[in-house]
Amino acid sequence: MNGLRILTSWLALTCLVALTVAGWQSRITNRPSQTRQEVLFWHFWGGRDRAVVDDVVHRFNESQDQFHVRAIAMPGNNLQAKLFLSVTGGDPPDLVNQDDPVLADWAKRGVIQPIASVATRGQINRLDDWMFESARRLSKVGSDYYGVCNGLDIRALYYNKTLLDQHGLEPPGTLEQLDRIADRITPDAAAASGGHYAYLPDSRRLWAWGYVFGGRFYDPQTGQVEVDSGPIQEATRWMASYSQRYGADNVAAFRQGDQSLPGKTFPLLPTESDSLVGRYGLIMDGQWRTRDLLDFQNERRQLSLPSPEFGVCPLPPPPGGRSRAGWVNGNFFVVPTGAKCPEGAWEFIQFWIGLEHPEAAAQTCAAGGWIPVSQQVVETTEFQAYLVQNPLFGQFVNLAGSPNQFPVPSVPGAAMFKRTVESAAYQAMSYPDRPVGPILRQANQRIQQQLQRAGAE
Amino acid sequence: MSGKRLPPTETAAGWLFCLPWIIGFLALFVWPFFASAWWSFCQYDMVNPPRWVGGSNYGRLASDLVTQQGFGQALTNTLYYSLLSVPLSVILGVLLAVLLSAPLRGQAIYRTLVFLPSVIPVVAASILWLWLLNPESGMVNYLLSWVGVPPQNWLNQARPAISMETMEMIRQGGMVSSFKLFGSKDALVLMSLWGVGNFVVIYLAAISDIPRSLYEAAEMDGASPGRKLLHVTLPMLSPIIFFNLVMGLIRSVQTFTSIYILSEGTGAPAGSLKLISLELFLSAFSDLEMGYASAMALLLFIGLALATLLLFRTSRYWVHYRMVA
Repeated sequence: MNGLRILTSWLALTCLVALTVAGWQSRITNRPSQTRQEVLFWHFWGGRDRAVVDDVVHRFNESQDQFHVRAIAMPGNNLQAKLFLSVTGGDPPDLVNQDDPVLADWAKRGVIQPIASVATRGQINRLDDWMFESARRLSKVGSDYYGVCNGLDIRALYYNKTLLDQHGLEPPGTLEQLDRIADRITPDAAAASGGHYAYLPDSRRLWAWGYVFGGRFYDPQTGQVEVDSGPIQEATRWMASYSQRYGADNVAAFRQGDQSLPGKTFPLLPTESDSLVGRYGLIMDGQWRTRDLLDFQNERRQLSLPSPEFGVCPLPPPPGGRSRAGWVNGNFFVVPTGAKCPEGAWEFIQFWIGLEHPEAAAQTCAAGGWIPVSQQVVETTEFQAYLVQNPLFGQFVNLAGSPNQFPVPSVPGAAMFKRTVESAAYQAMSYPDRPVGPILRQANQRIQQQLQRAGAE
Repeated sequence: MSGKRLPPTETAAGWLFCLPWIIGFLALFVWPFFASAWWSFCQYDMVNPPRWVGGSNYGRLASDLVTQQGFGQALTNTLYYSLLSVPLSVILGVLLAVLLSAPLRGQAIYRTLVFLPSVIPVVAASILWLWLLNPESGMVNYLLSWVGVPPQNWLNQARPAISMETMEMIRQGGMVSSFKLFGSKDALVLMSLWGVGNFVVIYLAAISDIPRSLYEAAEMDGASPGRKLLHVTLPMLSPIIFFNLVMGLIRSVQTFTSIYILSEGTGAPAGSLKLISLELFLSAFSDLEMGYASAMALLLFIGLALATLLLFRTSRYWVHYRMVA
């Protein structure tokens, strides 16, 4: 009985000490200054990106005597519902970072403030001149800023240079050359029995190819959806031609095989130690994969194994298409309606994107492997040093400055817009014998109806 | 006891003890239910006040049904899934329970093995199934290859096994060596069968409760094992089968987590995994159409209530309740 009492006492004491230490620790890490205004910042970053975000917040707080940012990681897919509840409940955060195409929806519903309500006219004009066009497109609804883009995700074509060299081929500069590469390396499904295809289009990437083919999915002047327009049909037809060539079922099976790679390994990378070819010879992906390539090459070097050479090129256009084009998305800040410290939020946004101090933004982008939103940040010494270490990344940065990088149209109902286009492309690629026109027309009609409903609300 | 009133203090104490539940019931069930019913006639985005739009949400649901888009597609998918998974899980559950009730060596181990998948969290199980159903390296295709079935595309194929399209393909080309029969919805049905252990436990308890005398009487009448199963076990199990049928139906319509993970929250491929629960979620929280989603939820509720009522009505013909003397 005595022993039990002692054990209970010890347990109680340990719990008390643990709680006290945890409470003290939490007060230390989140301690706002008595004299500074708190800026509550919701974001969704996790993993190794969280440390980068915490560092930015720390650097900002160190530089401030007026505001103190308190960052709260809000992972999960329900950020939207949480934000809405906080806004309607009258206790929203001061700043939110998001990467889904929701800007127009939030703006239309009055959940977020126009940036003009926190920034001066001069600062808004400065953003217009200072930001990449692609970043501006991600920040605006119509002609007004409702968000401020702080990082771009650009897609390009990664290629296995060693494989192309083996076949005496150059990286593709045109769509025809890409088709020729595919034809040479994998003329038919039987040629892919070794476990790799030269190239396979991904149905989710009609967004990119549609723009490369010279199309646009939406006309902001007339408010008309143009998913079934000529260039988008052409792009879809071209993507489906690969399913026709290899067999839709084979393509589908191979694509699902990508998911079996451990830890979502980049499928361009060889998985066997004695191989120099991965599942694809060429693949469209974003700038974050350059890290994977560097890690892979370092690992092979350490193990004294031969490593293939890799390269990156812009998506090759067809005749009459757009060069250096593609689909862009990215992260953006928004200031919710009813934010208690919108001035602090705007101060932090400027700090993060580097509007006043590009060096600070360069440090953030280099640490996170993120594409800056302005050429001025790109040109800083720190970021240039990063590009020297990671030259492939530079290709993506170059593309970020292209006027031909387009996001999902910033309209209310954009989430459904995106889903429906991807679903239509999947259908077209699954049934390559069916005419593409009716599939896209049906999608067009659905999206148009949805946009009308969303706009009419 | 009848007619005898309790002292007021005891009545008050009774109400007081019930109060937490009553408050919870009213706040978390009754109010949301009626609020949702009201919203189904409104345009509501969770931020701005609901705006009355009459029956337009229901009109849209009807139009979706005709075009087989959105709600129409989701309803078809849900019906396919429920009509396959519920009866199959009942049949498999009963069969497994009958087998596991036989006095075998290592019976406890077999029972544990059957029940084990049910305790694995849905998220983990869904990830596991993504691997098992991989067309290239998955174990399911490997096992199917033993019986000569060509590799199936499972989660990357929108076309299900039972469809006009598949029938047409079979009619035209026959079962060729590369024929892809099973699609994503079939994969979902397969996954649901994996968790049949929950039902098996209930069946096992019910089987052990069947009086031995009934089997002895059947044996004296010369009944074969098959006849005993058909005329003793199944009738005696019928109340449990009925219970599992109703619960399975409700559960199948509510399936969400697994499809959310398997389709990365989009219902892909080509909306084939978009069951009503996911369509409802996307409409409410992604497209911000709470009114439309509420209309869908109300129709779902009515549909489920009618299906349950139908089951109850038909139960008098096939459910045998044991009369206790």
